[in-house]
Amino acid sequence: MKAAVFWGCRILTGQYAYEMSVREVMPKLGIELVDLRESLCCGDPVKSVNDFSATYLSARILALANLTGAKNMLVPCNRCHFTISEAKSLIDSDPKINKKIKVMLREEGLEYDPDVKIWHVIDLLHDFVGLSHIKKAVVKPLKNLKLTSHVGCQILRYTDLGRVDSAEDPRKLDELIEAVGAEVVDYQEKLDCCGAHLLLSHVDSALSLTGTKLKALQALGVDGLVVSCPDCGLMFDTKQRDAGTTMGAKLTVPVFYYTQLLGLALGIEQERLGLQLNQSPVDAVLSKVSA
Amino acid sequence: MGLTDLMSMAKPTDESRKKVLAKLKSKGFLNCFQCMKCTSGCTALKLLELKPHEIEKLVNFGFVDELVASDIIWTCATCLKCVERCPQKASPYHVIVALRNMAVEREAKIPEAFMKAVSQILETGLAEAPQKVTTRKMKTCDRDSLKLPKICAPKESFQTIFFKALEER
Repeated sequence: MKAAVFWGCRILTGQYAYEMSVREVMPKLGIELVDLRESLCCGDPVKSVNDFSATYLSARILALANLTGAKNMLVPCNRCHFTISEAKSLIDSDPKINKKIKVMLREEGLEYDPDVKIWHVIDLLHDFVGLSHIKKAVVKPLKNLKLTSHVGCQILRYTDLGRVDSAEDPRKLDELIEAVGAEVVDYQEKLDCCGAHLLLSHVDSALSLTGTKLKALQALGVDGLVVSCPDCGLMFDTKQRDAGTTMGAKLTVPVFYYTQLLGLALGIEQERLGLQLNQSPVDAVLSKVSA
Repeated sequence: MGLTDLMSMAKPTDESRKKVLAKLKSKGFLNCFQCMKCTSGCTALKLLELKPHEIEKLVNFGFVDELVASDIIWTCATCLKCVERCPQKASPYHVIVALRNMAVEREAKIPEAFMKAVSQILETGLAEAPQKVTTRKMKTCDRDSLKLPKICAPKESFQTIFFKALEER
């Protein structure tokens, strides 16, 4: 499959490990990624300021995807995936907005195509590539690892929009983790939010949400947490130490992007997957995997 | 000022309530029957005392101006659980977004980071500037040294049109 890829801000400006690992694993599984002509915000932070402009930004991204000729667009960020999906549903259902948006896009010679399908890493791997294909491609199964998953909020909700997995009982990421040979541990706090959006207004509360979840995971004694969203990666990995300080606790939960683990199982070198960039204590797990 | 303080001297206005309704378009928010499913699952309830069912009721009663001026609308973590779980499709999240938009229109005090993101997007297309990061061994890296492709800014024409979009009500 040829897929246009829209990264959004957070991946392009800091969560480089996610970008590196997605760029590495997708071609190995038959997905050819085509970057958009320009880098742009999906509109998420703009939603709170002016909802219509957010819709315009998302529409412009869909129009840029249209330029690549691909009928599929991969959006690895949960927040971007939601913002673009909601904008698309609005443009497709509200003739007034549809007209307004099309006029604005035409000013730049851009065209909106309602048939571009939006994918996230999780459903692209689970539903399109398929678990059996992934299992066959694995050369180095991640044995003896007990992992937990954090799917994040915005690719699960709200169902009416058509989301990536079940809102209350998501399993796809767990199944993907099992497909690379690791064991998955379920836990009570699975659906709790990472708190990233609150970084914009209430930093301490944001870090408390992150820290509370990590503390619960630490008590479980698992080998690590698997995420697939740059916001969640930022909170649980990059800001784990800050979350610990806020909570007055020493947090030591190794955090990985799913695509990093998949890459390891596919035999890709650690450096190419950005594993040197994880800020949480991942070294013990890495030596276990490479042993 | 807390929501309760604002309410103690408040008078409902139907005009502001209608403005919120217009922003919500077809969303069935008037159907809220105060079951509190939203509040019981709200991510921001424990830490920041956000009670989405109260927001719904206050808007329905016409206490919109007070909400728009209050900090409480900026405590939502946008986890979307309230949208998912509302049996009446009253969607507190969308009501909160509408109230935030009104706060901006009225030039009320809003968290700085939002306006900063917007001006950054106008300038560069992205809400943040690319950062240098460090490895666990304290080596500094950026997109270049990680062999990631260059970021391409949008064409100049984008700025004008985005600016126009921001003036839409």
